Amino acid sequence: MDPITSYLGIACLLFVIGGIGICLRRNAIVLFMCVEMMLNAVNLAFVAFSKIHGNLDGQIAVFFVMVIAAAESAIGLAIILSVFRSVASIETTDAAELKW
Amino acid sequence: MSFMEFVLAAIGIASALGVVGFRNPLSSAFSLIVHLLSIAGLYALLGAHFLAVSQVVVYAGAIMVLVLFVLMLLNLKSESGRRIGIVRSALTLGVGLVIFLAISGPMLAQFENIPQATLEHNVKASEGTVKAIGEVLYSEYMVQFELSSLVLLVGVVGAVMLAKRKNVQLAPREGGMRGGN
Repeated sequence: MDPITSYLGIACLLFVIGGIGICLRRNAIVLFMCVEMMLNAVNLAFVAFSKIHGNLDGQIAVFFVMVIAAAESAIGLAIILSVFRSVASIETTDAAELKW
Repeated sequence: MSFMEFVLAAIGIASALGVVGFRNPLSSAFSLIVHLLSIAGLYALLGAHFLAVSQVVVYAGAIMVLVLFVLMLLNLKSESGRRIGIVRSALTLGVGLVIFLAISGPMLAQFENIPQATLEHNVKASEGTVKAIGEVLYSEYMVQFELSSLVLLVGVVGAVMLAKRKNVQLAPREGGMRGGN
């Protein structure tokens, strides 16, 4: 197999592992980390595409994904903290009510 | 596939499985740091030098420090004893396998027969040094770059608003000057 396509295979595998983690785990922070992992898998595919096509657009896209991920992690962790204050747990099964 | 790529990919996949598999969230977080570092190594091997460095600084540094801070702050135990049913795990793994085959099959077939000469020509053009990335970022993607600063600003304000305690008592309590809650 060509080296570049093997990178794409790795990216697919990491994306699916992240998705399986989101389905199986209940801890909100672990879910958050699985989302980061899926974002990273897509970033890896972007960089591989950038190399295949011979321009830098894919790498610029990765740069913007990193910016969004930084903002998203700040917001997401703040939401997890405020949920923890309300229900004293960050397991998603405990925060199943719509209103307290 | 060179030896280095193989090692980094193996470490990346193993630590990704670790993130999903460890029951202690702290072990998952450290596993994720290893994962992010191995991905940074793959970026460097693909010629994206700037992205490799910013992956280490932004992801493995800043974001993971934030995650670890929250984990330490909440002082959590391992996930409680309710285990996930074997049926549900098997179903999830099966669906995941199907999705993996559905994504990777067409994607790999698409790039099956690129001429080797084209690839070697493209390697030079896609080398993501700081200079090359900066030139593209500050000319072609100027507007998006400025907008991303707005996104970060909104992120900061939103995080402060969300994490702020809402039940702070501003009125002084009876019987003394000791305020706070």
